[in-house]
Amino acid sequence: MTEPAKDPQIMLAALARSHPVLELGTLDLCFLAALHLQAEGAALSAFSEDELSDVFEQACAIVEPRADNLKRRATHAIQRLRDQKLLARVDGAGVLRAGEFALTRLSASIVESYLADESLTRENLTQLTRSLRLSLAEILSRASQARDSDDWRNAVEAPLRVSVSDLVSGIERRQRSLDLEQQAFQATIAKLLESDWFGAVDQCLELLESTSRTLTELNEILLRDAHELSSSLQDIQEITVNAQAEGAEAAVERVMEQVDRIRAWGAARQRAWSEYYQYVHRYLCDVVRLDPSRALIQRLREQLSQHTSRPFALSVAAAASPRLLREIEPFKDDKPKVSRPRAERERPPNESDAIDQHAIVEELVQGALSRGSLGLCDVTQQVSAETPPELRFVTAGRVAQVVARLARTTLDRDRPWVSVNEDLVIEEWKLAKGGAHG
Amino acid sequence: MADTRYLTLGDVVADELFPDVDLALRRGRHVDREDSLWYTFLVDAQALLEAFYRRFGCELIHPTDGYFYLLPTGDKLGRRHLSVPEMLVGQALTLLYLDPATLQSGGVIKRADALSHLAAVMGSDALTRAFNPKRKRVDERVAQETVRGKFAEALRRLAALGFVDLLDADALRLRPGLLRFAEPVRGRGSPAEALERLVARGELVLGEGELEVDEDGELADDSGEQAEPAAPAPEPFELPSEVLSEFDDFGDDLSPPVTPEDET
Repeated sequence: MTEPAKDPQIMLAALARSHPVLELGTLDLCFLAALHLQAEGAALSAFSEDELSDVFEQACAIVEPRADNLKRRATHAIQRLRDQKLLARVDGAGVLRAGEFALTRLSASIVESYLADESLTRENLTQLTRSLRLSLAEILSRASQARDSDDWRNAVEAPLRVSVSDLVSGIERRQRSLDLEQQAFQATIAKLLESDWFGAVDQCLELLESTSRTLTELNEILLRDAHELSSSLQDIQEITVNAQAEGAEAAVERVMEQVDRIRAWGAARQRAWSEYYQYVHRYLCDVVRLDPSRALIQRLREQLSQHTSRPFALSVAAAASPRLLREIEPFKDDKPKVSRPRAERERPPNESDAIDQHAIVEELVQGALSRGSLGLCDVTQQVSAETPPELRFVTAGRVAQVVARLARTTLDRDRPWVSVNEDLVIEEWKLAKGGAHG
Repeated sequence: MADTRYLTLGDVVADELFPDVDLALRRGRHVDREDSLWYTFLVDAQALLEAFYRRFGCELIHPTDGYFYLLPTGDKLGRRHLSVPEMLVGQALTLLYLDPATLQSGGVIKRADALSHLAAVMGSDALTRAFNPKRKRVDERVAQETVRGKFAEALRRLAALGFVDLLDADALRLRPGLLRFAEPVRGRGSPAEALERLVARGELVLGEGELEVDEDGELADDSGEQAEPAAPAPEPFELPSEVLSEFDDFGDDLSPPVTPEDET
């Protein structure tokens, strides 16, 4: 089964939702450490409540010897640790009997990081890389014989995820311890010089040399062995890719990344140490050896504090930068200019004959009346036939106006609405025969 | 001229490093072992370049502390004298360079630590007055802001001269060239004699250095008064006895440190 890729954002969001908080004082940490040491020493897998209280009292006797109410404090401490998932009840008996408790993985890791004294050394690094090489050789052999998914899972993926990964993590953990050791070592050199100045030079040089030797050896081992490990991992990866065993392939990639990381650590520390080494060497030679009585700092301090009353200024060269004249090139503007086409805002009027629509309508109405039309509808129909459709509505009004002027209408009480065409309905006027006004 | 890869000055000038190193030196840069390629180049070409630069009226100096710089002794090559803020900040940084506590971080310090060290040695009032010389009545807040601004500007200019590396907004690395600021108090003799010797060599001048120059190269004028033009660089001279007498008690109660010349 392939492990799904872990999205850091999703994991962080899930972690934030659970509101994890760790608050551990010295006493709590020592209590946990005491439990851890007791479990290791006596090969205990769990502690009863009484045993927990006893261990707490032992820890308290060392950390806070004058503390009282130890039973109550033990109860609170146990509850505090349980709330923070540092101590877990493991018997599952609930209220039936007193519980049994064990340290969780979280608390074990915390305690180990404080107690562990396993910094990277030539011996343990050689041993770890040898074990890694053997494990990878075995996995490579099994991978070439794997036939089905069970084979891949049991013979390749699981060993890569558990044993190989743990071995590499072991190297990484020791690397981190060595980092801490170096920090402490740098502080030690500073303290040695602070306390003994000229007398500490030889001791500082010895410390520098021994640490340089250690780092160089470790880096050589890392470079050599990491190369072999990467080579074996690539062989395994090739087989997994050909067999399309995705889970095993992902496990190989993860281990490869870890191996790359431990190799990069070696190079980075070597570089950083080299800078530090040179700096301290220079300091010892230029400052400490030339000022064995350590008077220079005091004299310089005095010089600085009196500078405003007795000023002086160092001279430095200050040649002006050479003035390089560049060729003058005419300004090229390739961009199109913002403009609009020139055009006359007012167009000149076109000469055309005026059309008098009223006169045309009147002429058409006269024609219709002369042909003996007897109603407004008939006249309108005849005029509309000669008119474009969009003007027919307007024309109908003008026709009525002209008819009213030129003809006489007979009065009817009811004037029916009649359809002129599909779009127009008008009130019908009956016209008297020969009814034109004249 | 044994063990050098350069037989003639032409070989030196033909090296691809020469233009950059030459320009940097002429601009006052101090080149130390951390500029590994430049430093190796200068060590290899030192004998040839010393004669070369002498023709320009300047000396290629290589103290035993392990750095190079160009010191103009004539008027052919331009020179300047560090301003008061640069001198104060430079000396404070030198104190930190000499402090064994700085070893722990490999010579990397915080800017704030440098400023607080300067204030602790000089006293806050004296520091404020030194950084606000033209103001008679100063608002405390404005004066402190000026101190911070001039401190940052001094750091920037000292970095350009190779005395420090500005690593980021907050951190800086101290470099061996800073030991130049301690020269007057390094000899076995009295500081007054050391000053006399250094002035004669053209390493420094007595009095305040150049007027402060802002980023645009314009003379800064805090008070609104017209700034006086910078005086031309003085030629090496012998100090009058009345000036030297002012420094007679300088560091008298302390035993002077050993210098390389003294050892030899």
